Amino acid sequence: MATAVEAPKARKSPRSAQKTSLWGWLLALPTAWMVAFFVSSMAIIVLLSFGRTTNDGYPVFATSTANYRAIWNQVYLELFLRSLLYALATVVISALIAYPVAYVIALHGGRYKNALIAAIVVPFFASYLIRMYAWKALLSDDGLVNSALRGMGLTDGVTFLNTRWAVVGGLVYGFVVFMILPVYASLERLDVSLIEAGKDLYHSPVRTFFSVTLPATRAGLYGGVLLVFLPALGDFVSAQLLGGASTYMMGNLVQQQFAEGQNWPLGSALTVGMMAALTVLMVIYLRATATRTREL
Amino acid sequence: MTRRRSGLILPRPSRRGFLAGGLALGASMTLPGCAYIRDDAAVDAPLPESAKAEIDGDLIYFNWADYLAPRVLKGFQEEYGVKIVESNYDSMEGMYAKLAAGNQYDIVFPGAKWVVKLRREGKLRAIDKAELQNADQVFYSGSYFNDPWYDEGSQVSVPFTVYKTGVGWRTDKVSTMTNSWEDLWNDEARGHIFTLDDQDEALAMAALILGYDVNTAKPSELEEIKKLLISQKEYLRAYSSDDINNMMGGDAWIHHMWSGDFLYLRQGLADDPTQFDFQSPSEGVPINSDAYVIPTNAKHPGTAMLFIDYLLRPENAIKNMKYLYYPFPVKDALPAFAELAADVPACNVEVSDLENENVFRLLGADETQRRAAVWTEVKAS
Repeated sequence: MATAVEAPKARKSPRSAQKTSLWGWLLALPTAWMVAFFVSSMAIIVLLSFGRTTNDGYPVFATSTANYRAIWNQVYLELFLRSLLYALATVVISALIAYPVAYVIALHGGRYKNALIAAIVVPFFASYLIRMYAWKALLSDDGLVNSALRGMGLTDGVTFLNTRWAVVGGLVYGFVVFMILPVYASLERLDVSLIEAGKDLYHSPVRTFFSVTLPATRAGLYGGVLLVFLPALGDFVSAQLLGGASTYMMGNLVQQQFAEGQNWPLGSALTVGMMAALTVLMVIYLRATATRTREL
Repeated sequence: MTRRRSGLILPRPSRRGFLAGGLALGASMTLPGCAYIRDDAAVDAPLPESAKAEIDGDLIYFNWADYLAPRVLKGFQEEYGVKIVESNYDSMEGMYAKLAAGNQYDIVFPGAKWVVKLRREGKLRAIDKAELQNADQVFYSGSYFNDPWYDEGSQVSVPFTVYKTGVGWRTDKVSTMTNSWEDLWNDEARGHIFTLDDQDEALAMAALILGYDVNTAKPSELEEIKKLLISQKEYLRAYSSDDINNMMGGDAWIHHMWSGDFLYLRQGLADDPTQFDFQSPSEGVPINSDAYVIPTNAKHPGTAMLFIDYLLRPENAIKNMKYLYYPFPVKDALPAFAELAADVPACNVEVSDLENENVFRLLGADETQRRAAVWTEVKAS
């Protein structure tokens, strides 16, 4: 999809033709980049999903459907459902965090708007992995948070780490910024007089939010949902570092096939299978949201 | 090198266990085209001949991150006037993928079974012991390493470290240890037990309880191993190879862990070392080793030979041991390690231990995949 980048058709005037050819050239580079590094690696994965492994451990191309028959089993389907659930929870929690944050910055941030957005974005420049290790140090049984809770005499200590909540928490922390930014962008463009109109008509703030603000910023929300859902579903770091004995996700499964499992073809088939399932889900989602956006 | 325990400290994670999954981030970017996907792997190729031990350029060094004492590396650079250019891997699979893709390194530090694989494919250069002044530190008469299981006649490798896998625990939390692998099912520590997130180690632990070979790939035995490991899940906090942090953070009371990680935790990090103890279970333990090798396509094999010789000097082996807390089988350095592990002798690896059968061998892909399927099912259930 992302690669269907073509130069727009030339128009009549020579000047615009010149412009178009410039644009064509400018687009050539990213297109070549995407073809070389995205499409071709995708193609290798699709081809390899029909492959097999030699006894020396080399993945080779073949025409076997054994890998696809292998992924159709209960254990993997349950894992897929679990990952789906974690990813959906991540989306919902991210939206609940993103709206108030983006709302306050966009409507009340004043001249600090950019600084506040920077403050949200900057921590994401640090490696995701390192930030996950930091959470481990903070949330361990004898970590800073538990020490503080004990110090205040609130609890004997809470088990944060190695639970499904820790995994979802890690995913939210990792990807919430992808929800905040699009929601912020659409709130920025929101005509404040609409909200004032709501108030003037004696709507409560809650009702104003649901009948005015939310519908007007739907596009940002819809974008954010996708941007958070997709990486959360494929993630393996959060489950590996913060997860427990029963929080294994699809991402971990795929990663294991490429590492210790020495089964690249099976890992490829799992990847293709997951992408197919996601494509179906996304088409349904995009159709539903497109209709709603049009209704506006 | 004092590392004090405080609220927010990030001790270096286990080098072996540092997110094995990082492979997906690292290796995937370095697999150019289809170099790895081929069907013509050379088998038992003749050995490329040894280089002379003389400087022929800077050293391109490829190891786990932070896996030799920095002052030893610095010492080599100063003494020989060359630079060490360092790259790291975070899993053996990642290391192999980069070598197979044709990347050139002068010295690499593979685990024993990877030496078998690399040697069989002609990817390693012979190492002529006559070129090494300190060769007798590891290849003395009667040494196990004159003919180790992974390198017939020790032609392409020089031993680096040896390590064992056992069980570490908190003496202030658990009082009912029995020197058995079954302690990983201990009721007292329910919810605070960790098993290493490592296919070979986890399956080996269960195999040893059942009395099977640690490398077993027999379907009937694997089925029993699977049931045993699934029965452990209700006791487990998680599968994790970050053993040092899990113990330091108080999440783990009993941890399936590597001997060197334990010793570093106890001697190098803990406020109160007596809170931690380690056992080498009576059913037997996996004992494995890493080696120095020089790839066939190394650009500076001469410098690499000198570097290996430098690392074999007992004083350098001792510096490295005191940094890594893993024993080096260098003859005149062994007493220093015994001293380091004096309080926890179970962490020591005797040369006689190496004769045991519990090494991780190179298996065929079908066997590895059968084992992987079991491990996947255990973790996914």
